[in-house]
Amino acid sequence: METLNYLLPIVWFCILALFLFLYVMLDGFDLGVGILSLTASSEERRTILMTSLSNVWDANATWLILMGGSLFGAFPLAYSTILNALYIPIMIMVVGLILRTVSFEFRQNSRRKLFWNWAFGVGSFIAALGQGFALAGVIEGIPVDANGHFIGSSWDWLNWRSIVVALTLIQGYVLIGSCYLIMKTTGKLQETHYKTAKIAAVTTLIGAIIITTVIPIFSEFARNRLFDRPFIYIFALIPLLGVALILLLLKSLNDKKEVTPFVLTILIFLLTFIGLALVVFPYIIPPSITIYEAAASPSSLVFMLIFIGFLIPIMLFYNIYNYFVFRGKITSDTSL
Amino acid sequence: MDILSDTLTLSRLQFAVTAIFHMLWPVLTTGMAIYLVIVEGLWLKTKNPDYYYHARFWSKLYVLNFGIGVASGAPMAFQFGTNWAPFSEAVGDFFGSILGFEATMAFMLEAGFLGIMIFGWQRVHPLIHYISTICVAIGANLSTFWILTANSWLQTPAGGDFVEGKFVVKDYFAAIFNPFMVKSVSHMFLATLETSLFVIGGISAWYILKQRHTEFFAKSLKIVLAVAIAVTPLQVYVGHLSAEQVYYHQPTKLAAMEALWETIPAGEKADWSLLAIPNEKAERNEWEIKIPNGLAYLLEFKPRLEKPVLGLKEWDEKNRPHMIGLIYYSFRIMSLIGIIFVGIMLVSVIQWLRGKLSPEYISRQRWLLWSWIWAAPLGYVAVEAGWIVRCVGRQPWTVYEKLRTADAVSHLPPENVLASLTVFLVIYTVLFFSALFFASRIVAKGPDFNLPLPEEKLTPVEVTPAQHMPDSRPLV
Repeated sequence: METLNYLLPIVWFCILALFLFLYVMLDGFDLGVGILSLTASSEERRTILMTSLSNVWDANATWLILMGGSLFGAFPLAYSTILNALYIPIMIMVVGLILRTVSFEFRQNSRRKLFWNWAFGVGSFIAALGQGFALAGVIEGIPVDANGHFIGSSWDWLNWRSIVVALTLIQGYVLIGSCYLIMKTTGKLQETHYKTAKIAAVTTLIGAIIITTVIPIFSEFARNRLFDRPFIYIFALIPLLGVALILLLLKSLNDKKEVTPFVLTILIFLLTFIGLALVVFPYIIPPSITIYEAAASPSSLVFMLIFIGFLIPIMLFYNIYNYFVFRGKITSDTSL
Repeated sequence: MDILSDTLTLSRLQFAVTAIFHMLWPVLTTGMAIYLVIVEGLWLKTKNPDYYYHARFWSKLYVLNFGIGVASGAPMAFQFGTNWAPFSEAVGDFFGSILGFEATMAFMLEAGFLGIMIFGWQRVHPLIHYISTICVAIGANLSTFWILTANSWLQTPAGGDFVEGKFVVKDYFAAIFNPFMVKSVSHMFLATLETSLFVIGGISAWYILKQRHTEFFAKSLKIVLAVAIAVTPLQVYVGHLSAEQVYYHQPTKLAAMEALWETIPAGEKADWSLLAIPNEKAERNEWEIKIPNGLAYLLEFKPRLEKPVLGLKEWDEKNRPHMIGLIYYSFRIMSLIGIIFVGIMLVSVIQWLRGKLSPEYISRQRWLLWSWIWAAPLGYVAVEAGWIVRCVGRQPWTVYEKLRTADAVSHLPPENVLASLTVFLVIYTVLFFSALFFASRIVAKGPDFNLPLPEEKLTPVEVTPAQHMPDSRPLV
């Protein structure tokens, strides 16, 4: 029983991390393509960009709802305190997601597409911005009282570091979006996105370097963890691996590889993710509430695990099948 | 102004606005999914391409609705945490798990197969396509199940106890199968189906009236009518059962639904109030039309009450719902619409039996077709009215008799909530009219009979990285 009580919150932490990672990866490229659509030079190009998302955006966005629902059930305290503290970033994100989603649907039916084009791109940007602010808010820590209730103020999350984090996340989304488009397009449009991918790879790297240097300086919580044994060895390794992956990515882009850049970008995301998870773990509301303090009762965790754990492979299966059905390139008849 | 500086009122308003707006869209998608399963099944069985074009045509409206449903669902998913943090913390063990199940079991299933259902006609075998449509329908309806289970638990919390303000679950199945669950899920399932039937029927009637594709839309009208024969009377009955369970489990809500101020003791006759002007300050109805002894028959089907019906005055003002007029009239509007639907169904069936719905006569049934058209929005009104009765009537509790709404709300600066509420109001107003505009454009355009019929043998898709594989999806 003791081991079970010890293990269950860890298992749920991992499941939530999986949902969040899938969301960041999958809706990440949706949002990235959305932001890139603002730069599309013609209506035809924009149409191809958006068509490449038409069958996947809804399932991709659903991972966020999954993550929200599971966080609510598995760590009610974390769900309530984090969302309460980050009211403004969450609302920014929600408004962005609404704009992005509806303009996608409305655009198809509209004759004058200008407004919805703009709303789609700007919505994607706003959603990513809100997510970046929320991420920064969690990393820098949320002040709570002894019961784990939020005691800070509603603008705590806003500072120059959170702006850097948000902009970097946007760069990351643009990067993965560009790599997705490299896989799904051809010709001149593909050329364009080789270029955007390269630029985004460099800007993401710059952002990542700033964040990695700045966070330990400003956050005592992160500093203690980073220089703690045995973590210091891992944290020494992660930046090196990251730089190596970005170099490999730039090389694969130069070699005009089609799938490799996407895979490498996912690895870069994964590495960042593992890094962040290790900084935070076992806390779920840094710097003071652990997964054990925030977790639902063991029986709830078991109950949820039976249902949701069983469904994870099934969900992955039909999501992969969806990608498989629509494999291949999006093309239009006329040259771009 | 007072309201603008009160976080509780603003958060409640925001929840009401987001919930009322959100509800408009899944109502159609869940019900229409079943219709899509029916027409695609008919197509596979009869090979009549009309049914295929029905599936293609209605799924356009489906996607439009689905998109707005997803968009307006996002604020719902996060609002429990942002605006109702104490509530989320207190009941997360159960309520949160159920929302988690809804997302994994229901929502993901619907979203995961929607792509294939909409764009996959030429890409997968018809049977796989049909399975996808069925999965979408199952997913949508499982959402109804889980959301109504969660909401029913708020009405009749079971399966555990509140210990130091936190709900500790003892028996998950007792919590899921709480007293309200079965009837409430059934009531909502029928409501989504009924609303969708009347939307599909109303649009079909409009085409028939305009003599556009008369024969084609006579088919959908008849399918809808055939299903409505079972659904409309059943819904009146299940609706009655749902009100009856309120009588047994939520006496405060029943008193509000009936605007009943004074208790009617057992053994007495009880009149049913048909129309009234409730005056909350004076705690009485200013004016009232009553149906003699109606309430005793409605609640117990007996001439004299066996149990007393408690009036609102039994409770202290802070322990009973407010906005009695809203609850009272919402309930009556909902019930009336349920009965109107039965009436339209009966008249249509009679005309059908008299052979008046055959292609040569059907477009001459002007008044009948008009009544279908006017009935199209009524389902939405009934659904929203029902939710108002259900949730405004539950007040002042968020979890009935366990957690007060005033204790469930997050401590937020009111200006933050006011700002987000204003943004939601603006966005939702724009979305509502845009959606109406685009939906009517889809309807005005009509079905596209030039779409290629799917073939049994699919052209193989080869994927080598160097090869440019055309993706047969239509460009959006």
